[in-house]
Amino acid sequence: MQGTVWIPLHVIAIARSGDKGDHVNVGLVSRRREWFEALREAISVKRAIAWFGTRVQGKIELHELPGIGALNLMLHHALDGGGTVSLRMDAQGKTMGQAMLQARVPLAFDLALELDIPLDHVTMDEAGKIPFSHDL
Amino acid sequence: MSKAKTIRIGGGGGFYGDRVSAPINLLKTSQIDYLILDYLAELTMSILAKQRAREREGGWAVDLADWLGSGGITLLRDRSVRLVTNAGGANPRACAEHVLALAIEDGWSDCKVAVVIGDDLVGRVGELLESGEYLRHLETDEPITAIRRRLASANAYLGAGGISRALDRGADIVITGRVADASLVVGPMIYESGWASRAEISGSPLCGPVTEWADVAGDDALNLLASWTVAGHLIECGAQSSGGNHTGWIDQPDLGRLGYPIAEIGVDGSLQLTKPKGSGGRLSRLTVCEQLVYEIADPKAYLTPDVIVDLSNVQIEDSGVNRVKVSGAKGSQMPSKLKVSASHQDGWFASAQLLIPGPNAVIRAQVTDETLRSRLDEEGLDSLNICTEIYGGGATVLPGIPIDECEPPEVIIRWAVSSQSRRQVIDFGREIAPLVLTGPAGVAGYSARPRPRSQFRYWPSLIERGHVESKVRVELLDSKIENLPRPLLNSMRMWLGQAQSTLEHELTDRLERMHRRAPEGRRKRVSGAILERLKGDT
Repeated sequence: MQGTVWIPLHVIAIARSGDKGDHVNVGLVSRRREWFEALREAISVKRAIAWFGTRVQGKIELHELPGIGALNLMLHHALDGGGTVSLRMDAQGKTMGQAMLQARVPLAFDLALELDIPLDHVTMDEAGKIPFSHDL
Repeated sequence: MSKAKTIRIGGGGGFYGDRVSAPINLLKTSQIDYLILDYLAELTMSILAKQRAREREGGWAVDLADWLGSGGITLLRDRSVRLVTNAGGANPRACAEHVLALAIEDGWSDCKVAVVIGDDLVGRVGELLESGEYLRHLETDEPITAIRRRLASANAYLGAGGISRALDRGADIVITGRVADASLVVGPMIYESGWASRAEISGSPLCGPVTEWADVAGDDALNLLASWTVAGHLIECGAQSSGGNHTGWIDQPDLGRLGYPIAEIGVDGSLQLTKPKGSGGRLSRLTVCEQLVYEIADPKAYLTPDVIVDLSNVQIEDSGVNRVKVSGAKGSQMPSKLKVSASHQDGWFASAQLLIPGPNAVIRAQVTDETLRSRLDEEGLDSLNICTEIYGGGATVLPGIPIDECEPPEVIIRWAVSSQSRRQVIDFGREIAPLVLTGPAGVAGYSARPRPRSQFRYWPSLIERGHVESKVRVELLDSKIENLPRPLLNSMRMWLGQAQSTLEHELTDRLERMHRRAPEGRRKRVSGAILERLKGDT
């Protein structure tokens, strides 16, 4: 993908997650209001499904809060039966938002420059193996 | 243009277990009109219901009595701050009586304590079934009859109406059971806007649609309710909006003295968030944004008993140091049904963990796990659900997100099991300690054999408003009430009940500290025998 770089999600967004019965929501807020566009490019239901894998047993929905520049991912059946019966130490899904911030997400290079997004951690692929600078 | 009346409401806690000293700090370091405290989560109600079943006067959040009895009640009176809290849990009336007793003991003889009841449905299931209300599970559609015999708790989420009417009747302190978290803030605002007085005068039902009490047009009333609900949502989790649990933790100064949030709410719907001057942490646009997205589903329809809020166009801007302006919440007519949160007993649970050191710690932990599982197999413990997690080995990493691998110098291995068979859960617990001598080298950290505890499964449901609203009552306690509980002795009894739960060590310590702190005259009431028994139990 020409003109696309990959950055850790935590560069552009902050996150908080919590439980509702057996479901978890992950709210992602763009660090600057004007970075919302980059956040929208970075997150999709398809990507979320790949990231969470079997951790989420039900559907995943994506909602938008343009007012504050945020996205909300609803992860259905993500807690092994719910906060009161889950056998995980994180029975309420509180770590999921922070765990998600480790993901590498694609960003159009031009957009990154335009939005003044720091490119310190940029790589050329999702796996994060090839530092961008090597290819320049 | 005259400035609209602004009410300052402090959020003194986010759950039963939050800092007990937080409300006292908030009262001492800020000028507020109201203090709200949310003590209830999904699991909390089932625990409190169980306590009430064991102890007639138990089943509420005794942390409330702790801080009220340690100077909180004096601060409320001296600073004319009204307290609104759902600490009543499964037994609001006992909680309210206890609070009144504390006030009277403190010399506040005309303290008015109100209690809002009517949320508890456990004793009404038969009657509800007869009237065709099956409390069907929101997802499986099963009627509640499927779990009726194991039902531990069932509570409807009440709205702000009862709270506002209690305040209009002069309450200094309002104690509720299960009300929607945000309604703890909406209630005072409905009262301060004069809506509750209008409702009182016209004799409107206590718990009807509050927009009908408003002195403004329907849409404006809904938008006001939406704004007040957002205020409630932003402060009901305590310091989660003022710098706690924030992704930008690295820039948060002095978390040790983290300040709890204060909402400055206008009767015209304006809203600013701030925190006490000189407190730790930093409240900013991002800390508040992070709380806005906490535990929401569809942002276009944040459901509460009072109003449906569209959060999608809410705007949050920095308006000063540790000060944020919030606007743009839109309201629409409240949902036609109320949410019900029920729970039922469902098997047994235990967990255990061990420390695994040395080279190849992750593999060592995996071998420890295999060793344990082969022994449990051999003993025929076939009904156990076992979950193994290795902390330090990537337990919280998401399956599809590759991270840089590194060799941790040590890991913690944790097992959690559940089963319908209590016996099998006990047998699991007996196999943990032996791993220290019979597993890989260096395994440590074993304490006591894990004891099985009851597991509760959540049962979300909906109920017709009419089936609940007709039962909602506001009672103003009479300070001349006879046989008020004696605060210290009763807290002790309740703590004794709780001490049988997993909290026993902590509670015993607290009880002993309280005993030491109590003035000589009161200390006599603490029965030495009870203390001895507690010590003997642990």
